[in-house]
Amino acid sequence: MTLPIVRVAGKRPYPPRVSEFTQTFWNGLAEGRFLGTRCAACAKASFPPKPFCPHCWSDRIEWIALAPRGTVYSSTVMHAVPSFFRHEVPYRVGIVDLDDGIRIATRVLNVEQGFGVGARADIVVLQYEDGPLFAARVTA
Amino acid sequence: MSAQVTLVGAAAVPCGRIQSPRDAAIQSLEHETLARCVIDALRDAGLPKESIGALVFSHPRPYTQQRYFGTFMANYLRIKADGLLMEVLGNGMTGGLAFDQAAQAVASGRADVALALGVNFETGTPSAEHMNLSMRATGDLDFHVPFGFTPIAWYAMDAVRYMHEFGATRRELAAVAVKSRRHAALNPLAQFRKPISVEDVLAQRPIVEPLGLYEVPPMSDGAACLVLAREEVAKSLGRPYLALKGRGFHHEGAHQISEVPNDMIALGSAQRAGRAAYAEAGLSADDVDVAELYAPCTIIEVLVAEALQLVPRGRGAAAAASGETALGGRIPVNTSGGLISRGHPPYVTPLYSLVELAEQLRHRAGERQVKDARIGITSCELGNYNAALVHVLEARV
Repeated sequence: MTLPIVRVAGKRPYPPRVSEFTQTFWNGLAEGRFLGTRCAACAKASFPPKPFCPHCWSDRIEWIALAPRGTVYSSTVMHAVPSFFRHEVPYRVGIVDLDDGIRIATRVLNVEQGFGVGARADIVVLQYEDGPLFAARVTA
Repeated sequence: MSAQVTLVGAAAVPCGRIQSPRDAAIQSLEHETLARCVIDALRDAGLPKESIGALVFSHPRPYTQQRYFGTFMANYLRIKADGLLMEVLGNGMTGGLAFDQAAQAVASGRADVALALGVNFETGTPSAEHMNLSMRATGDLDFHVPFGFTPIAWYAMDAVRYMHEFGATRRELAAVAVKSRRHAALNPLAQFRKPISVEDVLAQRPIVEPLGLYEVPPMSDGAACLVLAREEVAKSLGRPYLALKGRGFHHEGAHQISEVPNDMIALGSAQRAGRAAYAEAGLSADDVDVAELYAPCTIIEVLVAEALQLVPRGRGAAAAASGETALGGRIPVNTSGGLISRGHPPYVTPLYSLVELAEQLRHRAGERQVKDARIGITSCELGNYNAALVHVLEARV
């Protein structure tokens, strides 16, 4: 199953840096996969992906597909923003608890009223012209 | 055996716009502003500059052109020190760390008298440009920052969650700003002193929804200096002083957010730091007469007051609305006007909190004096209260 792709005009306002290690995540995202890392020793997953386990410091980690679905914990609509992001105002960011117990912070799309707390959301790829970001899109 | 640390002198300049535009022919300079505070604070303490054994500076903002600011100031003021001279940095907690390190220098016996001091100039930079810098402090540069979070975005999400969980209303949160402005009207150091109503607060343009302009911090310049001393020194001066009774610190091992879900609005670090500070002081929240809390947004004052057990969980916003946390109420919070109205020169803000406690606990706060104030508490933080530093002080004569 690959993530839905939402095309966005223009370039990412503040693109992420990509390392030898994290390119697995960003390349995966470009192909519609949402990846994290999991520790082979203590079985805990982590995000952002790391080349070791932040919990037990084992370096026996493996790449896993994270649940691409979750519940909105909170959100806000940004009006006063860094000048990098000025052309996107207003935009919504939020915190989403994925179904496999991982909490992320990201863009949140499709909240029609209020702040969407408790709403179900799918992870989607935001395909900018220069590369991908991701977002949580609230489902009706 | 560590020495009893006391606070014997304090001085600050009014928060506001001090920094000049970059192209101004005549510039206001950080060291000139801070030097005035140092001289005033020593005079307030009744100590000569030769008594100073340690100086701990808040590291200045990147907008301050003078590098190695602390050692430059030692030259400018011609202060020699046998104990310590350093600059500290820890996001919003910076000023609190300066106080904490100065206290350590006294407690350890490395200095009989120590200064905690700093200057923050930032208003010469437009806020959208400033946020290009501050956004990089909040979360992971590659996995959070690209979405466009800013430091106060996280507090806005706290507000949303708080209203969702506890049914607090926008009017109740707005009451925090109204109350703080009423306090600021009585504080000569405050940046915004004109009284406002709940309607005024709710009518402001949104900044980070649901919070509008009057519920978020302004940009501020400021400078402050505190004089700490061994209690033997304090006693010899023959004037009121404060004794540092308890201290607590906790960093939760998360930077803004971790992937492990927690109760974000419990401010667990403030809870732990508060418990440690109360325990060391041998006091409880019931003993506190006045609280100066680091709260960049209305919601944060509510959450910190709850975390430090000054008001019951889930009742902080209602307590503000009912006047419980106002001057004359059961537990006055942020009698200075707090970060939103007193002003928020970030790296020195916690020093301003201690300046206010110094005024309150020495009964010099004038019209905003909390009657018979004896025990004060102060907190500061970084991130979304991912770390908290709490100090409890007691009035002594």
